Amino acid sequence: MRSYIAFCKKEVLENLRTHKVLILMIVFLLFGMMSPLTAKLMPEIFKSLALDGIVITIPEPTALDAYAQFFKNTSQMGLLVVLLVFGGMLSTEITKGTLINMVTKGLSRHVVILAKFTVASILWTLTLLASFITTFGYTAYLFGSGIQPNLLFSIFCLWLFGLFLLASLLFFSSFTSGNFAGLALTAVSLLILLLLDIFPRLHALNPITLASLNTALLSGASQISDLTLPVGVTLGLTVLLLGSSMMVFRRRKL
Amino acid sequence: MNVLSLKNVSKRFGSLKVIDGLSFDVEEGIVFGFVGKNGAGKTTTMKMILGLLECDSGTIRVCDEEVTFGETATNRHIGYLPDVPEFYGYMKAKEYLTLCGEITGLSHTQIRARSGELLNLVGLSGVERKISTYSRGMKQRLGIAQALLNSPKLLICDEPTSALDPIGRSEILSILHAAKKYTTVLFSTHILSDVERICDRVGILNDGKLMLEGDLSDIKSRHRENTVTLEFESTHDLQELHRTLSDLPFVSSVETQNRALLVRLSDTIDGNQRLLEHLTRSKLMLLKFEVGEPTLESLFMEIIK
Amino acid sequence: MEKIIEYLPFLIPIILLELVLAFSALIHLLKHPDVKFGNKTIWIFVVLLVQIIGPILYFTIGRSDQS
Repeated sequence: MRSYIAFCKKEVLENLRTHKVLILMIVFLLFGMMSPLTAKLMPEIFKSLALDGIVITIPEPTALDAYAQFFKNTSQMGLLVVLLVFGGMLSTEITKGTLINMVTKGLSRHVVILAKFTVASILWTLTLLASFITTFGYTAYLFGSGIQPNLLFSIFCLWLFGLFLLASLLFFSSFTSGNFAGLALTAVSLLILLLLDIFPRLHALNPITLASLNTALLSGASQISDLTLPVGVTLGLTVLLLGSSMMVFRRRKL
Repeated sequence: MNVLSLKNVSKRFGSLKVIDGLSFDVEEGIVFGFVGKNGAGKTTTMKMILGLLECDSGTIRVCDEEVTFGETATNRHIGYLPDVPEFYGYMKAKEYLTLCGEITGLSHTQIRARSGELLNLVGLSGVERKISTYSRGMKQRLGIAQALLNSPKLLICDEPTSALDPIGRSEILSILHAAKKYTTVLFSTHILSDVERICDRVGILNDGKLMLEGDLSDIKSRHRENTVTLEFESTHDLQELHRTLSDLPFVSSVETQNRALLVRLSDTIDGNQRLLEHLTRSKLMLLKFEVGEPTLESLFMEIIK
Repeated sequence: MEKIIEYLPFLIPIILLELVLAFSALIHLLKHPDVKFGNKTIWIFVVLLVQIIGPILYFTIGRSDQS
């Protein structure tokens, strides 16, 4: 237990000193601010693009549009940034050899995985929260109301998907070599999930729905009940991936 | 007490028998130099002692407990410095030692005390910079500090001086010598002068076996063959001289080196005298008569032959 | 146009943050030109022209090893 806490402390220090915290916060705060603003200024942007004679009118933007922007930004670029920032969390330690000293001193392999997942998850949670609060605040100011149906559940889904990604990164890094293999494999599996999303029958099992139906939940196009199964599947997969990482990593030559 | 004991250890990689019936003991409180050319099997032996590699046969005991592969209970007695230690570059020395201490299970007061002591020992006390700015020598020193953190009975260093400049080497050797107070040191090297400087005992590994092993002073006196370097005014009859000298009973061998003859005497007490008498009688114009001492290097070269 | 001016106080922090990202990446790039892959010139373009994700790509996978 003590070594778990010690290694968690080390992970926090590392994320701070290698500026991962800074990068995540800046990017996600940017999204938090940009999303409502973009939504609000959409009509202006379109007006300035209008050509003579052709009048483009779009309906007055609402808070829903602000959140639509938020989910679009966060689920696409945001998750990409998460992958990039956390992509090497295990791989670089293995390639550099910094774990050898730790392990010979008695740090157990599964603690390494657990500590990394713990700290990465906390960082993800705080980042997403900061971003969401910013959007919520801006939206309330710009559009009058921030409350949308299913908003919290929608955020929860996105958050859970982030955890799923972190677990995937750890899993794929636990048995591959090189700095980018783990990241690459995670990206590939994401693409596969995206492709599978084309088949409506697989919707219920596809974790990707947690990151694609967020706006639909707000507009009413999807119900919470549509997503309960994917939530369960994703939760189960995350736990499975974590457990497998620990098992595989145990036998890993360092 | 023997801190380390190897009996008949063998290890084979594929068809190559890297270690063949290796046996030696290391007693408490000495510095043991483990010498051999590159690829002789020094790192392999160390990894077997640490339980990172499995030996095919034989036993290894650390502090009288048997070493088993995978299950590394014996490692709590050992501090290990690999040949290229890697640390977390964004940390400072003290932070890194604190992390190691917490993982090993030391209390905070212990960690603070030990870190201070050890950083002093290795000469890194005042250094506040991040480890990423350290030179290779400083990293080696930090490596020794972290290896000694939990007060191990045996400190194993894999080629601690190999990639350093002469000043760095000198510093590391002094530290290892000073560490004798706290622990027993086993280090590997292919630089013989290191061994001559600080080792009490030496083991020369070649072809998977220990070719030579014992106290450094013992080895030197046991194999003491006086060598005398002779230089003459005329190189005219060098060959003839080479033959006549080789036939002398107190001469074990003669070598021609450029313009000089290197004569190895087997009888140390009278040898010098008798050689000098012979040369005077031969009426040759002697320019140089230089008496040489055996070095570990010359012994090593002989063994490797 | 007036509407955009009206929202300037909101736009300014956004623009500032983006500039901070781009310029810190640029400065780091100029100080440590031995990038992991690609070359310095390509990264200059990426960092300056690709909004947000450009500097991020640089900081996460492009920059030279620090030790």
